[in-house]
Amino acid sequence: MKKKKMTAAEKNRALWGWMFITPTMLGLIILNFYPIFNTAYQSLCKTGDFGKGNTFVGLRNFQSVLSNPETWQSLINTIKYALIEVPFGVVIALILAVFLNKKLKGTSIYRTIFFLPMVCAPAAVAMVWKWLYNQQFGLLNNFLGTKIAWITDSKIAWISIGIIGVWSIIGYNMVLFISGLQEIPHDYYEAAEIDGATGIRQFFHITVPLLSPTTFFIVQTRVIGALTVFDLMFMVMDRTNAALQKVQSIVYLFYDYAFNKGNKGYGATLVMVLLIFIMIVTLVMQKAEKKFVFYN
Amino acid sequence: MKKSMLLVPVLVMSLMLAACGNGTSADSGNSGNSNTNTGNAGSATEGKADNSGKTGSSEAISVNIWDNNQLAGLQKIADEWTETSGIPVNINVVEWDSYWTLLEAGASGGEIPDVFWMHSNTAQMYMENDILLALDDYIAADDSINLDDYYPGITELYSSGGKQYALPKDHDTIALLYNQEIFDRYNVEAPTDDWSWDDVYEAASKITEAGKADGIYGYAADTSNDQDFWYNLIYGYGGFLVDTDHKTVGIGKDEAKAGMEMVRKILTVSTPQTIVTETGTDSLFQSNLCAMISQGSWMINAFYTAEGAANYKWAELPYCDVNGNKTCDEGERVSAYNGLGWAAAANTKNPDAAYSLIAYFCSKEGQTKQAELGITMAGMPGVSEAFASAFEGMDVSAFIKVEENGTLFFRPYSRNSIAWSQPITQAGALLDAWQNPEDPAVMATACDNAARIMEQAIANE
Repeated sequence: MKKKKMTAAEKNRALWGWMFITPTMLGLIILNFYPIFNTAYQSLCKTGDFGKGNTFVGLRNFQSVLSNPETWQSLINTIKYALIEVPFGVVIALILAVFLNKKLKGTSIYRTIFFLPMVCAPAAVAMVWKWLYNQQFGLLNNFLGTKIAWITDSKIAWISIGIIGVWSIIGYNMVLFISGLQEIPHDYYEAAEIDGATGIRQFFHITVPLLSPTTFFIVQTRVIGALTVFDLMFMVMDRTNAALQKVQSIVYLFYDYAFNKGNKGYGATLVMVLLIFIMIVTLVMQKAEKKFVFYN
Repeated sequence: MKKSMLLVPVLVMSLMLAACGNGTSADSGNSGNSNTNTGNAGSATEGKADNSGKTGSSEAISVNIWDNNQLAGLQKIADEWTETSGIPVNINVVEWDSYWTLLEAGASGGEIPDVFWMHSNTAQMYMENDILLALDDYIAADDSINLDDYYPGITELYSSGGKQYALPKDHDTIALLYNQEIFDRYNVEAPTDDWSWDDVYEAASKITEAGKADGIYGYAADTSNDQDFWYNLIYGYGGFLVDTDHKTVGIGKDEAKAGMEMVRKILTVSTPQTIVTETGTDSLFQSNLCAMISQGSWMINAFYTAEGAANYKWAELPYCDVNGNKTCDEGERVSAYNGLGWAAAANTKNPDAAYSLIAYFCSKEGQTKQAELGITMAGMPGVSEAFASAFEGMDVSAFIKVEENGTLFFRPYSRNSIAWSQPITQAGALLDAWQNPEDPAVMATACDNAARIMEQAIANE
């Protein structure tokens, strides 16, 4: 190690530096790092009751998780959910943001309305939707005059759940897009207008490319968010729902094994598999960033 | 100099840790509360108000239960105990599904309520891992408690390795609930105490046929209506789900399949499962959309206080006409019974007070009060008569009659029943048959699948 005398002022500064990062560091170590390593360890164990008597079994949990068709089915379910939530959540939010970024009367009211779902507790949102979707008494079937089993028919249940996801996330995406839009200099639009570009051309040739850093950020965080979805399935689908197997996400499966069936080791393995999957997806997206995202 | 520089963050860290420690414990208390709120919107405010008033006292005894219907009555008995002991009691309701998740997480982390309910599903696991306080010494020194007074099945359930870990809180039986108004409307004879499940099937098919236009069905049952429905038919037809050794699985055997075949027949004239899973049998019944369900005595209060209670009537649990002679012979009327236990945490700060509260609930006096207040039937025989008259205007004697003229079997359990009790109600097992009740072969396969799931789960115990 290189020995270099610090001056009093430097020491003082280093000291304060330590003090300032301590709270965050502690939070990360206690709430994030320790559980991550503990989970990784548990995935290699046959766990005992109440966290006692764990026995090391090597990769046996991974073997049974990966050979269980249930795992792959729920991974597919999760991806299907993400395929609804992310594209629709982004596109609808972008369109809304472009409209609400204009100087119109009542924009702040609309912004508030669209952001409201974000303020509601996810559990409450899911409960309300559960009743909207109800086959017999639901508002949706009442309005449409149909008898559709929105959440018990496995062919459409995943779409119904996806719609709730899109509805809840639009407001959040929209606010991010609005802040991104406000950073685009107005000169570009003026120049385009003088050159005779229509609103739609302006949108695709100025707004979309200049907004791509924001879009990328949203897509990346939402993909991760969608892959870890749990509360919607948990609140909306009853355990005896026949469509559950075709809709349950991988985190739901984790919850079921770790907390309902008390098999913590198997549950830990499931989240490790999900973690690896998300890492791969993120890596691919980081590569794509260089190609599609435009930083000026 | 360098050392002292490191020392400061460490000091700060340890300070923060201490603060964190306090923070977490307060937090976990709160999260318990919020759980109550989501689970039972109705009682949430009540429970919360109680807590905020009493959290100031450090010696308060915390109690967890899962049944909101019993909260008011139990709090009343607990308050009487507080009058003599001077120790306040906070009762928290955590709905059934979250109850076990919360309790297990709490037990792993060493933070569980002082006193709480135990159930046959999990009791063995909790007893073996020293989570529960052994009560033997207290019972020996206490004149008000004699273990021989209780139903033997329940006392046995809560003992392990020669030690008693919980006292019987109550016991329950099953009866048939029907809506008189629907029977009158479609001119179908209402159920009597002499009905067999075949009669239920006949009546249900008439009502389902007549009520087609109104969306009314004769019967409703989900796969999760186990103890209050299909368990009883398995045992009624001479089968068993888990034998009394708590290891041997019987749902794949012929007798059990005969019972499930009767279940299947009834399902063909019942509310379709997709509707049942979305709305729930109890809600369907209370919305006047189905004429009959079977339910346990723990649910009486929910129907007693419901809007249409005047039309709701209880009949004795139908018998299984195994020999087909149209009379109820010995052993053909069979009802499941189960009993909760009052247990205390092994690490409670005040074991004397915790036991004293349990003993107050379980003494003859407390048990009688529990029956009189209409909370549940008692955990000891001979005190439940008061229960029958607790519901003015509603005849609930069906639950008590079945004990005299029927056979009771204890709710089947193994060491960790949770590992199979839910999976067998899902797709790949019984749910397949509920989805497609027309085909007897599907039910038979579903039973075999359920047996396989159970055998595997029990082998892993």
